[in-house]
This record gives sequence, C-alpha cells and structure tokens, in this order.
Amino acid sequence: MKYETAQLTECNMGHPRRYVKHTTTNPLSLFSYGRKSDVTCAPLLLVVKSLDFISLKFQANVFHSRGMDLLVEDHDDSKGASFWKKNNKAVPGRPSPRKELKVIPYNPSPSTSFQDFQQSINDAWDPGDDEFCNISNVKISKKSFPNVSDDVINIHKYKSGDSKTTHPPHQRKEVCKIGDFSYDKDNHVIKNKIKKFQAILKDDYLDLGDLQNLSWPGIPFSVKADVWRILSGYAPTCSKTREKALNEKRKEYWGYVKEYYETENRDDSYQGTYRQIHIDIPRMSPTIPLFRQKIVQNMFERILFIWSVRHPASGYVQGINDLVTPFFIVFLHQVLESEYDLGTLDIETLDPIKRDQIEADSHWCFCRFLSGIQDNYIFPQLGIQLKISDLRDIIKRIDEPLHRHLQDNGVEYLQFSFRWMNNLLTRELPLRCLIRLWDTYLAELDSFASFQLYVCAAFLLHWKQELMLEKDFQGLMLMLQNLPTQDWNDSHINILVAEAYRLKCAFAGAPNHFQSKRS
Amino acid sequence: MSYAYMFKYIIIGDTGVGKSCLLLQFTDKRFQPVHDLTIGVEFGARLVDIEDKQIKLQIWDTAGQEAFRSITRSYYRGAAGALLVYDITRRETFNHLTTWLDDARQHSSSNMVIILIGNKNDLVSRREVNAEEGEAFAREHGLIFMETSAKTASNVEEAFINTAKEIYGKIREGVFDISNEANGIKLGVQQSPSANSLSPTTKSFYQNTGCC
Repeated sequence: MKYETAQLTECNMGHPRRYVKHTTTNPLSLFSYGRKSDVTCAPLLLVVKSLDFISLKFQANVFHSRGMDLLVEDHDDSKGASFWKKNNKAVPGRPSPRKELKVIPYNPSPSTSFQDFQQSINDAWDPGDDEFCNISNVKISKKSFPNVSDDVINIHKYKSGDSKTTHPPHQRKEVCKIGDFSYDKDNHVIKNKIKKFQAILKDDYLDLGDLQNLSWPGIPFSVKADVWRILSGYAPTCSKTREKALNEKRKEYWGYVKEYYETENRDDSYQGTYRQIHIDIPRMSPTIPLFRQKIVQNMFERILFIWSVRHPASGYVQGINDLVTPFFIVFLHQVLESEYDLGTLDIETLDPIKRDQIEADSHWCFCRFLSGIQDNYIFPQLGIQLKISDLRDIIKRIDEPLHRHLQDNGVEYLQFSFRWMNNLLTRELPLRCLIRLWDTYLAELDSFASFQLYVCAAFLLHWKQELMLEKDFQGLMLMLQNLPTQDWNDSHINILVAEAYRLKCAFAGAPNHFQSKRS
Repeated sequence: MSYAYMFKYIIIGDTGVGKSCLLLQFTDKRFQPVHDLTIGVEFGARLVDIEDKQIKLQIWDTAGQEAFRSITRSYYRGAAGALLVYDITRRETFNHLTTWLDDARQHSSSNMVIILIGNKNDLVSRREVNAEEGEAFAREHGLIFMETSAKTASNVEEAFINTAKEIYGKIREGVFDISNEANGIKLGVQQSPSANSLSPTTKSFYQNTGCC
C-alpha cells in the first residue's frame, strides 16, 4: 500500500470551528468518514505525508473538487519505515528534520477566484462571522503551514483585542445587557444555514449527529429554541411525536410543581432549600431588568426548587440559578414577536400558556444540561476541585510563563477559576455570548463537562497578555475576577471554543499530560 | 503603592447578610441594592491609615452557602482578621453565629482578630436582634462588636479599621509572628525591602524592633 504511512492532518483554515486531527492510511477515506460535514463544509488545509507524488496529484484533484488546498510533505525516510514510531515533535537542541513542501493549490481554472472558493464553502461560516472575508491575507508558507490555524486565531484575537484597551481593566462591568441580541442577520449565509437546520428539523427521524455538527459552530436565532430542545434530549428526534412528547413533559413538570411546590404543607426537609432559593432569586443578575419582575422570579423559583427536590444528592447550590438563564431567555425569545425588546419586556403581557411552556421547557433542558456535571455540586464539590487541578496542569504544561507568573504572585487557580467552573462562565461573559457558547455545549452534551475545562483554559490563555502586565497579586486578582468581556460577540466565542477544541484534542485521552496524575 | 503592612481579612456569615455589600461599601464607597450571589470567594483591597502607617487590607469575601464551605474554609488560614456578619432583621443568621465561630476558630490561626457585625441596622422597623444581644454574644466570646449599615455606610469604615487597629496592637505587643505569612500579615516593601531574602536572625530583628 502506497499510503500505509501517510498521515493526514486536517487543519481548519481560518474557520474557528473544531480542529479535527485525522490519521488515515488513505486520505480519500476522509470523505466517507463519519463526520463528513467536517471535511466537506469547512475550508480545509490537508497535509499528506507520502512519496508517491503522482497518486497524490490524483488525490489533490479530489480535494480540489471540494474546494480545498492540498499540502504535500515529502519525507525521504518515510519509505515503508513504519516500524519505528515517528516523533514529529521538535526536540529541543536537535535540528528539526528538513522537510520539502510542495503546495498543490486549488486552482482548477484561471477564472476561479478566492471568492469562488469562499462561495463554495460559505455555508460553513457562522452567524455573525462576516469578518472572515478579511482572512484571505493569511499566507501559507513552507515554513509555517502547521501554524496556519494558530495564525488565524491570532489574527482574530488581535482584531478583537483593539476594543479591549479602551476599558479600564478594573472597572466593574455589566455583562448582562440583553437588549442587544444579535438577531439573525439578513444575509444569504445565515439564510442557507437556517434552511439546513429547517431541513433537518423536518426529518421524520432526524440524525442527531448531523444536528450536533451543524449546531457546534452556532445556531441561528430563528431555529435556536427548537434545536436546543432536541440537543438537550428533551424533545424527541422523531418529528411526528415531538409536539405530543413535549406536551406530556410539560404536564409532568406542572404535576411536580403541584406536588412539591404549591402544596400546603411542604416537606420540612425542603424548607431550607425553599428559603435559600427564595432569598437568592431576587438577588440574581442585577443588571437584567427582566429579573426584577415578580413573575419571572417566581418562574425561576419553581424551576430551581423542583430541580433541587428531585436531585437531593447535590440539592440547590448557588450559581446553578445562572445556568437556567440562557434556556429561559432563548425560549422566551422564541415566543416573542421580533419587535419586542427583552430589555423592556413586561412579562405580564405574555400569554400565560406560553409562559408556562417557557418555564417547563427551561426546567427540562436545564435538568438534562446539569445531569453531566452534577458532581460539580455535590459536597465537597470534587468535580470542580478536580477540574481546577486539571486546569492548573494544562496551563503549566502549555504556558509555563503564565503559570509561573500566577504562581510567583501568589495567585492560586482556585481563587479565580472556581466561579468559572461553578457557574460555567456565566459571570464572566455577556448573556448573548453565553447563549452562543451554549450552542456548542449542547452540541457536545455528552462530553461538555470535560469540554468546559478546556474552554476555561482557553479563556485564561486569551488574557495572557493583559495578565502578564499585572505585576502583583492584587492587580492579577482584580483583573481575573473582572475580565473585560463587555464587548465580546459571537466571533470571540467561536475562537474560544476552537481553542478549547484544540486543547481537548491535545489533552483528552492523554492522561499523562496531566502532571499531577502521573505521580 | 508602598505600605508598612498588609493584613489579610476574611468576611464570613450566613448567606444574604450583606457581606459583599459591606466589602463594596468599604472598597468602592457605594451601595448596590441588588447584589448578585457570591460564588466561592471574591477579592477586594484597600489602603488604610493606622497611626500614620499605611496598611493594605486584602479582603476575601466568602460565599455564605453551606455548599461552599469546603472551599471557603481554606481561606481562614492566612487571615489575620475576620468579619463575622449577621443580619439584624433575620434572627436565624444570629442563631448560626456559634457554628460560624467554631468553624473560624478551628481553621484559623489562634490570634486571628474577629469582629462581630450586625448589619442592615438601617432597617430599624424590621429588626429581630437587639444590639444588646449582639454585644452580649461578642463579650462572651471575646469579639469586637459593631452594628453597621452597608446601605448608609454607617460604621463600615470603622468596622474594618478597628479590626486593623486591633491587629496592629497585637503586632506591637509581639503576639503575632509576622515572619510567618500564614498568620495573614506581611511586612510592606518600605519596611523591609528584601523581606524574602532576610536571614532568620534579621527577621526576628524586624519582628522585635521594626514596628515599634
């Protein structure tokens, strides 16, 4: 076999989506590989190691027909030498092996421009990602091809970094403005994406994998609520039974409310939980006027109380109230006419039947969402403590200077990242960004507990530059508990989850990378 | 900013008694009527003058909910002062003081200065705990006592500063071992430019003479 030693690496050029590292004996097999959409939708840079240039030329045509560049790396020593495991990493002090690179560009006809290329893959862009038109200035040089994805990420960071400097670092911020939702922009990219979602949603038996793949990079608002219900395992994948099943579950929720919440003589053991929730809800999200309305507070109170009595292992822990908010807002948003402003909405004007649906749906989705991370909230919160220790190991391993800087100034990871983990960054990000982040979390639902760790790591690394400028404990702590994310939008989250995915690929399933577990 | 000493504080007490509002009033001189729940711990800092010396206060504001106790307990160690807060309008927050005090004494250095604070004393009409009860509890357990209002700022400065004075007094008496940072006290830069590199003998020299 010519391609026995061929390694195919898929770099996600310019697209802040997942990076899929794929090793195969036959690059073409990628097209029949399960995650087809990763290969066919995203703009890709494929790197193949092989000797047989003619075969590669043929393969290149296949890739070109899908609008991709193919990068070929000639390896003199790869001739059947698969016996020894190759270590492609650079070894300090040793000259890196010389590699000849030949780029077979995607250029089928002179009339085909980058715009055509972009056109062919434009359905892969995310909502609100218009600035991608500007990334075509990324040059793929012989030297830097492995770093292309990094470059793209850096370009985005740099661009988004401009606005950061305008805010004094320690100013207390108000991250929870909700009047400024990014409604779906009226352009053909979004329209195409919405069509794709609608097509999947209409399927009699929809493919959850397809829906997850499509949702991972962000879900347009017009279909978000429906997709969230399915991704969270609340609504069935079968479209025919969906409405019926939802109504059953809604009824079930209101049954619980009657049984546990509205009862005259509430069980004594629940009384403490009730009191705690009752004094907490009026205090939550001070910057969101909607949450000052009594009806909304009562809805949250019921959702949290029912969840707590049905999950006695952890019970109600402060912070999980924030995790209801994205669901609540998305489901509320769905039933509102578009001219309503969530910032000034009077919930009393809303049809009570719709209100009840929003409440029940929020409860069930929240319930399913939390099921993967319940160990975070069971005393003594070992789930979080473990993740904090992992976060420390990740940073120590991939960014020693930052780790040392924190350590030298006496900053412990527990001091700032506990809240990140306990509240899943709800306190650190504006609501609109959280809702975008939830798209990815819900698309990853089965493994988002661990994915969240990498999101936190990527989040910390994002602020490295600013953190390195802080010269003492106080400066670092005040910055870390008040990171200036007010101006963040979807594209920041896209980068964050892309970075997180890269970290996950490097660390997940490689337990030795976590130093503390080695000993 | 140079300072003579740095004292570490911890603020403890039941959830919703106004711990974060006290801190915000002290560090930012403002009151936020709706303050979001504190998750784990939050940090604040301010410089104060005690007997013409600049003292930096580094304050850990802790979450009051029982669920976070495993996290917040680790902050007792390394604190020189503790503000134990209850809400004068909710008797149960006063009833829990003994538990809080036991917890604090068990996990902190024995010299930690504790001040008992009855907060929200602007809400006179809803008062459930008399000032005398607070005073009696404080006397019985050897604590400083004050009633405050984070809303009107009444006694907030005083609460933090009186605690600092008490700690400072203890340093002068030689009660605190300031070479051990686990006690929540650190010598400032102007006092000892290279405190970390001092030999044990020099350190004890500072301890005995540096602050008097």
